[in-house]
Amino acid sequence: MTNFEDRLLSALKDEITTRKAEDQMTTVTPVRRTRRIVGLSAAVAGVAAAATAVVALTGVTGSTAYAVSKGSDGTVDVQINSFVDPDGLESELAEAGIKSVVDYLPAGQTCKQPRGENGAADGKFAAGVSKAGGGIAFKIKKGHVPAGSTLVLAITKSEDGESAAPSTTSLQIVKGTVTPCQPTSAPAIPPADNGTGGTTDKQDNGPTVDNGTEEGKGVTDKND
Amino acid sequence: MRLNDDPAAFEAFYRRHVDAVMRFVVRRVSDPHLAADLTADIFLAALDSAHTYVPGRGSELAWLYGIARNVVSAQHRKAAIEARATSRVAGRRLMDDDDLTRMEERIDAERRMRNALEAMQGLPEGERAVLELVAIDQLTVTEAAKALGIRHVTARVRLHRARRALENVASPSAVYQEGRI
Repeated sequence: MTNFEDRLLSALKDEITTRKAEDQMTTVTPVRRTRRIVGLSAAVAGVAAAATAVVALTGVTGSTAYAVSKGSDGTVDVQINSFVDPDGLESELAEAGIKSVVDYLPAGQTCKQPRGENGAADGKFAAGVSKAGGGIAFKIKKGHVPAGSTLVLAITKSEDGESAAPSTTSLQIVKGTVTPCQPTSAPAIPPADNGTGGTTDKQDNGPTVDNGTEEGKGVTDKND
Repeated sequence: MRLNDDPAAFEAFYRRHVDAVMRFVVRRVSDPHLAADLTADIFLAALDSAHTYVPGRGSELAWLYGIARNVVSAQHRKAAIEARATSRVAGRRLMDDDDLTRMEERIDAERRMRNALEAMQGLPEGERAVLELVAIDQLTVTEAAKALGIRHVTARVRLHRARRALENVASPSAVYQEGRI
């Protein structure tokens, strides 16, 4: 049994956690050493970036990397500050009543589509994904993920590391079994930080976007 | 105490004072939704001001009431309204129907105190602030001084003046004397 006082307490504790994460994020130096390794293998570059980032981020525990809070109307607010510990986020979402599969992919990779049958309640699913700090935030309204369905979140990390805004965010609802993420190479890492390369380079992301619209089930948010 | 750093320490602090903060709020507003918002805002402001809390120097409650006064009196300011609109913690969204009923009961229970506060409206702000905290919120004069960031002697003088001014209006003591005569 919970009441206003209990819910306010847990919202405030989440706030403490989020603020601490934000403070920490401002002090973490983005991992830039590997970003010039282009062409040889995006996967190798991604793994190297991940390995380096773990060292830089030891202070960030699973609980500060993300925050999941459930409102009294059933809306679940999700904020991801740092793209580490997908399992921890899955279990936080499960506590909020949402079954999920979360994959964080190295820069240059996406999950092969489709991941399963469209499971959105009315065939459509829309959730605004907003950039929050170096991370992202979105809301899942009550009933958006019906029983037997799974929220499938696939995020392609920025080449600037775990705590930078992701290059691609894909959210979809899958009914029944979810195909595990098969990383497939997405566009080459853009040669430089200019945003213009994004549109053409990310053409290879097509499968994600196209499948999403065709079956009316996905939202894909691309940031450069 | 690292209030904004240690969720366990914050939880203990919150549980000690949440009831007092809600009573503080419903003595001043009668809209249950606004009361929930302000309760959340006060604790958020406490997190913002955690660095100003020095353990052992006066009571926690005095410190918290000082913050609560600022939050409640700033509630109509544009900046406060905007801050609430973008805040990650909105009190009213955390209330269900039962909470609403309980909040309304709290508001009813404090009706007399809200009337008493209205009777003090005519007092100069400085005097009213001390009297409010002492007579309505039951702080000691020392605590009220701390909450308002003024010297103890100043608080005593203001309280004395406020009481004398109220003797001329319909104060509880005046009613009592009439009844006896």
